[in-house]
Amino acid sequence: MSDAVVSETPVFSVNGLWKVFGPKADRIPADPELTALDPAGLRARTGCTAAVRDVSFDVRKGEVFVVMGLSGSGKSTLVRCLTRLIEPTAGTIAIDGEDVRAMDKSRLRELRRHRAAMVFQHFGLLPHRTVLDNVAYGLEIQGVGKAERRARAAEVVAKVGLEGMEQRRPSQLSGGQRQRVGLARALAVDPEVLLFDEPFSALDPLIRRDMQEEVVRLHREEGRTMVFITHDLSEALKLGDRIALMRDGKVVQLGTPEEIVGSPADDYVREFVRDVPREQVLTVRTAMRTPSDGDAVTGPAVAPDATVSEAIEAVARAGEPARVVDEGRCVGVVDADGLLGVVAGTAKEAV
Amino acid sequence: MAAITAFSPRTVPAVLRHRAVHKLALLVLAAAVLVPLATARWTGGAWPEALTVDLTSPLTKASTWIVDNRDTHPLFLYFFGHVSNAIVLSVRAVYLVLLAAGWAGVTALSALVAWRVAGLRLALGTVAAFLTCGLLGMWVPTMQTLALMVVAVAASVVVGALLGLAGGLSDRLNKALRPVLDTMQVLPAYAYLLPVVLVFGMGVPAAVLATVVYAAPPMARLTALGLRGADHEVLEAVRSLGATARQRLLTARIPLARKELLLGLNQTIMMALSMAVIASVIGAGGLGDRVYQALASVDVGAALAAGIPIVLLAVVLDRVTGAAGSGSTSSSETRRSGWPYALVAALAIAVAARLMGRLDWPDAWTVGIAEPVNRAVDWMTDHLYSGVPVIGGTADWAAHFTTWVLNPLRDGLTWLPWWSVLLVVAALAWLIGTWQTALTAVLSMAAIGVLGVWTPALDTLSQVLAAVAVTLVIGFATGIAAARSDRLERALRPVLDVFQTMPQFVYLIPVVALFGVGRAPAVAAAVVYALPAVVRITTQGLRQVDPAAMESSSSLGATSWQQLRQVQLPLARPALLLAVNQGVVLVLAVVIIGGLVGGGALGYDVVFGLAQGDLATGLVAGAAIVCLGLMLDRVTQPTERRTKKGA
Repeated sequence: MSDAVVSETPVFSVNGLWKVFGPKADRIPADPELTALDPAGLRARTGCTAAVRDVSFDVRKGEVFVVMGLSGSGKSTLVRCLTRLIEPTAGTIAIDGEDVRAMDKSRLRELRRHRAAMVFQHFGLLPHRTVLDNVAYGLEIQGVGKAERRARAAEVVAKVGLEGMEQRRPSQLSGGQRQRVGLARALAVDPEVLLFDEPFSALDPLIRRDMQEEVVRLHREEGRTMVFITHDLSEALKLGDRIALMRDGKVVQLGTPEEIVGSPADDYVREFVRDVPREQVLTVRTAMRTPSDGDAVTGPAVAPDATVSEAIEAVARAGEPARVVDEGRCVGVVDADGLLGVVAGTAKEAV
Repeated sequence: MAAITAFSPRTVPAVLRHRAVHKLALLVLAAAVLVPLATARWTGGAWPEALTVDLTSPLTKASTWIVDNRDTHPLFLYFFGHVSNAIVLSVRAVYLVLLAAGWAGVTALSALVAWRVAGLRLALGTVAAFLTCGLLGMWVPTMQTLALMVVAVAASVVVGALLGLAGGLSDRLNKALRPVLDTMQVLPAYAYLLPVVLVFGMGVPAAVLATVVYAAPPMARLTALGLRGADHEVLEAVRSLGATARQRLLTARIPLARKELLLGLNQTIMMALSMAVIASVIGAGGLGDRVYQALASVDVGAALAAGIPIVLLAVVLDRVTGAAGSGSTSSSETRRSGWPYALVAALAIAVAARLMGRLDWPDAWTVGIAEPVNRAVDWMTDHLYSGVPVIGGTADWAAHFTTWVLNPLRDGLTWLPWWSVLLVVAALAWLIGTWQTALTAVLSMAAIGVLGVWTPALDTLSQVLAAVAVTLVIGFATGIAAARSDRLERALRPVLDVFQTMPQFVYLIPVVALFGVGRAPAVAAAVVYALPAVVRITTQGLRQVDPAAMESSSSLGATSWQQLRQVQLPLARPALLLAVNQGVVLVLAVVIIGGLVGGGALGYDVVFGLAQGDLATGLVAGAAIVCLGLMLDRVTQPTERRTKKGA
């Protein structure tokens, strides 16, 4: 959110994007009377379904951008529009400033081969190939020679923790291992952006947590830009630098996890985040007050982006209010009352 | 009671709203208008003369023209002539290679392939099968059939795979191909014989082409099915990696369709064998010809000697190609290592046999089973045909069946006014299917009348109906029993497996031995041929009933009879309808072939046409068979049909 980041060209820049399924879909985004209709009305009137409605967002370099919504909210369609696996109906998409919708076939193929790779919900592995050859598949498509692509694939297989399983077939792997293969296949082509389409929703909860941590680790190590689709709020909050919350094809709120939980844009979002343990998402910025002269200078120090629950621990241990210290400067104070207010949800909703 | 009467006014319109009643009411309405018109114009029960079109003279003219111009017309010189020559040459070449390899070489190489593809047990089975063919003195005919098969299967696979590829890749082509292929699969093999004879004359080219036309559809269907059935997400993943259309096809779609492709190969081989045997009627030599000649002179022993190799060939081919389809890929990889050694060993055997001058199967090693079998049949004729106390003899049964079932049925059908037959067809087809299927069924039936073979067609139909009734009674009973007892199912499975792989032609041999010739044996052969498919589909349908539904009904305390009647049978209805459909289609195929053993009617017309060179009669009968097949299929066609044929 600092000025330095904003000045860079976004990896993906999406503006006014529409995807309408149905007969004569083209006319709908252009007609203000039709765009005003709700999904049921649009369907009754034209027989069309608008999966993505006038969506705009930027994905910044190096961030994890999460698109979150319930099934049928259009999030999977949206991510497929980014590389035109589904052809958008209207709007603009740019990757590094280059118009994706204007690309010809071979340029688009280049985009898919080198710049954006996707991980799928049900893995999409080739059952007749070994793990190694599945991972090397993207390189094979690019025309990389056998020895080189296998060597590169072997590295990636090791990176996702599948050493020793190179010669197995997908059918001999567990769900979590298969998704590691899917992840490795996407990583093997060394793409600029990784696109994840609900990659972990077919997995057991424990495996899912492992895989989420794997993604966090990869992101920390490589800093690769990621667009992550999920219907799981806790996954979104855990992974996302920023979250776009979708409903009926529209983005209803776009912001950091803290913004989404701390100040929901409407009742739908509020209902959505109601059960979220707020103290684990909100930072002490929400709970702190400006220091007054009476405050002691002895209390424990916490960083401004520490979560409320971390501050609670510090305050409880010390038995006195904690100081919020940013680059050596005390910017505020959190006490037990302020922290409790956050947990109880009685604190003001503005951040 | 009061409550019930109070409700009854509401139930009456509910009945009327029922779709079946709706359809019937419409039909009755149509009949009320059309029937008086029809009867007023054309009186009498049989198909009115005025409505028939005599195709005999134009067809005769056409066939005479073809015979006259076969050697001069450019179409024949530059197209059909080349096709014909190519076929003759390739069959000849394969045949010579097989002979040059010698019996030891052929056996060893076949065993090698079976071993690599399907394992040791099947390899031993293959050796035993080939040695039996030799022992029966049938080595040369077996090789003739094999040579014809190799060429026909290769052509069928190429044609089928190309059609399937087209259908798999293009929606429009698929839409155009599907109904044609579906229909081709329900038509009796016999219907394909005459058109090719018309163009190519009797002989090997006609036989090979008829086989290709008959055997290519399953390959095409399954190829298209496999290409279309590929996991959507895998294809999307491949696309997301930037694959070109060609890369997608070669690295994903075709490998993903491997199972269907191999199943297609298996079905094509089985259909080709079946047809290669039947095509003996139009001049394909080999095993089929031996059976055909033997049956013509009611020489059961000789027929059996040629029939056993057919069955063995069928079982071996089916098992080996089936194993290739189901074999897991990992095990085939480990087996690949032994290929070179085994190949060398097989070649060594072939060369050794050649050097020892043992190319032809030694005469001294043959066992003539014709003689003893014929003696056994004679004994049966004397002792079992008739006059066995209490149970009567087999010939008596056949006679009774003919007198009490077939004759009344045939007479009844012919006595029925023609329009009522059409009405019944329409009603049945519409009740089970849609108005389109009903329309096709009625038009097909009417076409039979127009062709002027109404009476023989009804004769054939009466045999089909009788055979289907018997098949369904036995088949459903067996199927239900097998679905309820694991033991019975396990015992039945190998029997059904073998029966389902045997070519239709072979079934004629035992029934002739048991019942002599006539219509009853034709019906019996049809029943035996159709039974395995009906039993199998019934059992599968009953077993696939949702276990949760079964569990909930037994938790409510249902007896097993209640469970069967109230849960299993209703839920398995689609499977049972499919069993009926398959039963009808398979029965028709054999009833037609029954023309060879005195079944008469349409089948006989085809054989007669072929034997006498009277192609017009044969072609008309063949067209009527096609119509009858279409009609029977549509009348019994459930709205959704299975992709794979039962046999």
